[in-house]
Amino acid sequence: MSKRLKHRIRRLDVSLWTLIVPPTVWAVHFLFSYLWAALNCAKVGEFAKFPTLFAVGTVLALLVIAAAGVIAWIQSRMPGDDPPHESGTDVDRLRFIATSTLLLAGLSFVAVIFTATPVLFLTDCR
Amino acid sequence: MSASAPSSPDALYAQDRTDQNDPAIRAAQEERLRAVWKPPSGLFLRWTDVNNNRVGVWYTLTAFGFMLFAGILALIMRAQLAVPDNDLVSANTFNQLFTLHGSTMMFLFAVPMFEAVSIILLPQLLGARDLPFPRLSAFGYWSFLIGGVFVTGSIFFDAAPDGGWFMYPPLTTRTDLSGLGADIWMLGLSFIEVSSVAAAVELIVGVLKCRPPGMRLNLMPLYAWYILVVAVMILFAFPPLIAGDVLFEMERLLGWPFFDAAKGGDPLLWQHLFWIFGHPEVYIVFLPSIALFAMLIPTFAQRHLLGYPWIVLAAVGTAFLSFGLWVHHMFATGLPKISLAFFSAASEAVAIPTGVQIFAFIATLWAGKVKWATPLLYAVGSLAIFTIGGLTGVMVAVAPFDWQAHDTYFIVAHLHYVLIGGTLLPLFGGLYYYWPLVTGKKLSDRIGRSAFWVMFVGANLAFFPMHLSGLEGMPRRVFTYPAELGIGGLNLASTLGAFLFAAGVLMICIDLCLSPTRPKAARNPWHAGTLEWLAMPEDEDWGVRSVPLIESRYPIWDQPGFVQKVDEGRYFLPDAEEMRRETIITSVIDARPIQVARLGTPSVIPMITAVALGSVFILTTYHLYWWALAGAIATLACVLTWLWTGTAEIPEKPEKPIGHGITVPLYLSGPSASGWWAMFITMMADATAFSGLVFGYYFFWTIHPDFPPADMPDPGVFWPMAALGLTVIGWAATVAAREIHARGQVSAARALLVLAIAVTLASLAAGLAGPWAAGMQPKTHVYPAIVWTLAIWTSAHAGIGAICQSYTLARSLGGKMTPAYDADVRNISVYMHFLLFTAIVTYLTIGLFPLASGGAAA
Amino acid sequence: MLAAAVSACNRHQSALAPFGEEAASTRALTIVLLVGAVVIAALVAGLMQHAIRTPGGRLTHRQGMRLVLWLGAIVPTVTLFALLAASLPLMRPAPVSAADLRVRVEGEQFWWRVAYAAPGTSPVIAANEIRLPVGRTTMFELDGGDVIHSFWIPGLAGKMDMIPGRTNTLVARPTKAGRYRGVCTEFCGLSHALMAFDVIAMEPAAFDAWLTAQRRPAPPPAGRGAALFARYGCGGCHSIRGVGPDSAIGPDLTHIGSRRTLAAGILPMTTANLAGFIRDPGSTKPGVRMPAFPHMSDADAVQIARYLEGLK
Repeated sequence: MSKRLKHRIRRLDVSLWTLIVPPTVWAVHFLFSYLWAALNCAKVGEFAKFPTLFAVGTVLALLVIAAAGVIAWIQSRMPGDDPPHESGTDVDRLRFIATSTLLLAGLSFVAVIFTATPVLFLTDCR
Repeated sequence: MSASAPSSPDALYAQDRTDQNDPAIRAAQEERLRAVWKPPSGLFLRWTDVNNNRVGVWYTLTAFGFMLFAGILALIMRAQLAVPDNDLVSANTFNQLFTLHGSTMMFLFAVPMFEAVSIILLPQLLGARDLPFPRLSAFGYWSFLIGGVFVTGSIFFDAAPDGGWFMYPPLTTRTDLSGLGADIWMLGLSFIEVSSVAAAVELIVGVLKCRPPGMRLNLMPLYAWYILVVAVMILFAFPPLIAGDVLFEMERLLGWPFFDAAKGGDPLLWQHLFWIFGHPEVYIVFLPSIALFAMLIPTFAQRHLLGYPWIVLAAVGTAFLSFGLWVHHMFATGLPKISLAFFSAASEAVAIPTGVQIFAFIATLWAGKVKWATPLLYAVGSLAIFTIGGLTGVMVAVAPFDWQAHDTYFIVAHLHYVLIGGTLLPLFGGLYYYWPLVTGKKLSDRIGRSAFWVMFVGANLAFFPMHLSGLEGMPRRVFTYPAELGIGGLNLASTLGAFLFAAGVLMICIDLCLSPTRPKAARNPWHAGTLEWLAMPEDEDWGVRSVPLIESRYPIWDQPGFVQKVDEGRYFLPDAEEMRRETIITSVIDARPIQVARLGTPSVIPMITAVALGSVFILTTYHLYWWALAGAIATLACVLTWLWTGTAEIPEKPEKPIGHGITVPLYLSGPSASGWWAMFITMMADATAFSGLVFGYYFFWTIHPDFPPADMPDPGVFWPMAALGLTVIGWAATVAAREIHARGQVSAARALLVLAIAVTLASLAAGLAGPWAAGMQPKTHVYPAIVWTLAIWTSAHAGIGAICQSYTLARSLGGKMTPAYDADVRNISVYMHFLLFTAIVTYLTIGLFPLASGGAAA
Repeated sequence: MLAAAVSACNRHQSALAPFGEEAASTRALTIVLLVGAVVIAALVAGLMQHAIRTPGGRLTHRQGMRLVLWLGAIVPTVTLFALLAASLPLMRPAPVSAADLRVRVEGEQFWWRVAYAAPGTSPVIAANEIRLPVGRTTMFELDGGDVIHSFWIPGLAGKMDMIPGRTNTLVARPTKAGRYRGVCTEFCGLSHALMAFDVIAMEPAAFDAWLTAQRRPAPPPAGRGAALFARYGCGGCHSIRGVGPDSAIGPDLTHIGSRRTLAAGILPMTTANLAGFIRDPGSTKPGVRMPAFPHMSDADAVQIARYLEGLK
């Protein structure tokens, strides 16, 4: 990754809103999965054998979460003092939010995979 | 922040406050603080107090009382089930017992207890003098008391709800199958839900805006993180239930058939709305206990908690995932297996953050030098019980296993392991830990430990056998069971265990009763490192002597001379020069001081408002609609008086110094003000309830091949679009008034507000005109019923919008709002944004969806 | 004590004593889950005890974080994912063909309306007892009558709700002949605890013969009991095929004498129980819809009971 890009990423603003981006993506993907299956079953009576829409939605969700995770990973490695990053400085606060976002991205990534797995095993509306 | 303040308060720490050196000055300050924070006295007036110390204690004691009451109900049930074919109580009584046991434990104990404890602890943890809206806390308490007594008292009149705490229609909506009890449940608990949401608003704003200077997000005590997360969960979990309650009572009182399959309704809609609330609810009552652990484990491990960001991950992750679990309560309702599978997957994923939480505690204990103490015994013991409940939770997340276990005693065992290990025992642990903070005295270690072991054995003896009796074919909610099932022995063991558990609770009650006879303990008796332990054994009502600058997660351990500096008023705001109750408001992320807020003083208004609002719900239960309407008008009058006299007050001077050369304003408006946040958060809850109703509309569309039904009238396009257009104009006029007002053109702003009032009222009428002109009959079918509901909801909000606008106009005319002090118009702008959102969704749905779906218009 | 309690447990209404394929596979799953849960609980408890006993400073910050990462996050994630992947295939319902027996069951407060529809024949109406052929697939079609009930035969398969306005299906295949019992598992009102039914799994040939016999109407009414049945207006709610008009409000009584129990699996089928239930059903089942007949004499009740018992 280019140095300039890394520098740019480090300067991105973080807040409580950016912290919840990964789990929000999970929530949106979950709702999407549920509605996709429920509407297909209620209105079409089956869901397609090759659920393209579902696959695209899942890949998209994983990409957004991964992007949030990468940004958070770079930000969490801002130079500064040693872990556990618990002093009242700007950089420690940034690294704390970045680390938490990174962890949430990990959890959300796994949770999206969990949510998508059933489609591999169950292929009808019974 | 004022221009005179440096960019960061950190640099100021080096400079000590020499102006506080003189003991005489300090004594005078203390005298003023004491006078300002003096509680009201007198037989009646003492109940008008709003200080968090007092209201929190009332709240806690009341919730504790409801817990004991619900526990006694459980003992009667266990006595009935001790032997097969028993007839100690009738089926009718038994159904009331289990309904009230569950409802009381959930609505009147677990959630309020968390809020009560937080009302006591949060200001202490944050070094604030009080919560941002003390009168709102008092209002929440009185609402809780009135609603709780109303609901629980019904059992003494044999009129208690008897449909289970989940109240599934049609059993509970058919008035030939259920009586007054259903209305008492629905209306009484709706009232409590309102007070829970009010407390959530208070706690969120408290955590975000009332932290001490320097307490950035990464230094917040973990308890505050959990409170923030849990309060936000309440905000999104309770409103769907409130939406469900609205539909439920419309069916019971007016005959609108939302859950009546014969008229197009569906009982499953209730189950969705109930469990969207019901599952997050489990985590709402469990996370605060983990929060207590996160405070007491570092104290007894004598080190910082390991993995702070991991705990934040666990709290936030659990909060999100818990909203994707609700259908696992509906695994046996016959939904498509693929739908169940999504929820099964999420139900398993939610165990991951819980595992992280538990292992962060284990790692902390491992790394630290453990000092064994009674609160730690409770923490470790309840984690052991909770782990068993969590593991059976993973078992029932597996759908095929759940099809066997669902609605049997296996689930009763599972949920009691979770709630005893995840709520009740941790609270007792918290009681032993924080009792010195509240009373200045320690509880008995001997009694505490004996009680723990009695309860530990009792809980396992009571609930472990239930796993087996469930798999052996014993369904839940049965008032008796036949001897031939061969589960008499297991049930007898459960009954013995339940009484043993009750004996342990009794021991704790005795310990509490003995407390007044004991001497005061030392300050900070556990040698903890967090701010709440600044409290003195002889409690002062001012909270902290001076609001500290925070540089560590454990300031008492890490910041040299910390306690002394706080006590000598060497930090911020050590005085009450103007004889006003004050606290410091800081920015959300980095906790920079931005305002000194004047707080509410003791007042009878919160109590009267609670009584008035309670009367609306209670009178409606008895179908006394005119009286209820009078109560509603009285409530409105109370609320307006409260706002007029107690909020957005123009200060006598624009700003004041808080020490260390920092001067901050006394008044804020817009997104940095606490009042703005309260409005925003309240409206988030409101929008969530609304989305529950909209979900209803589209839910009916999915279950019917023909919806809107082709042979039914619909509101047409004209009136909904007219209502939408009028709402847009009303919104634009309000926002324009705000902008023009800020530029000093007061008269023009007033004129715009007048226009906004007229147009918003017109949108109210136009919204109702659609279904009215089309002659839609809500009793005949669910389609007209849900259209009417959406239209009424939106129009009612337009009506409230007009009241808000009129109030703002009156504030301007009354000289209580000026271009420099314009919180009122900024706050109602937030309301108008949400009104606009509501109107867009409603009118596009009822006006245009019939065209899009090719239904009635085709 | 626990062992004694288990050995005392029943074999006819238990998820741990399966007589069908679905319940048997769920029992196997239960055992796997249970063993896993016990192992994990023991490990966590042991680790917690070790953590408390270890003196301070033995675990560095870095090691502690590694513990949280591996034992708190990665191991649970992998375990749970394996569990998910293993359990999803078990959710697939067994295949059904058009030739399979269909049994329609409808829940009412507090009894069960049953209709057997073998392919190509008209349905046979019965109540409060379900007979099934061993080794053949049966599809249950479950309807909600008045309120929500839930249909559970623990030894056969998992439960399924009966919801007004919806029809749910449940596929099962019994493997062992015998007498079993099912219950309502969704709270449905006052006598929810008293809403059960007998399940009799039969060899296929015996089942076919039984179903043919059930198709027969009752013998023509004769005797005082039949006359009293008509006089008290029992036929207003209960059908006895071949006798009087059809009415579907209460349970069908055409072959009530052949059932083992009375009042939806609650009382043994004896003359005294029948007579008592006819006069005052509410004392056995609170909230029951059937009215009491307080002015009916004991003798009349016994006569009606004898008549009904004769309807084999």
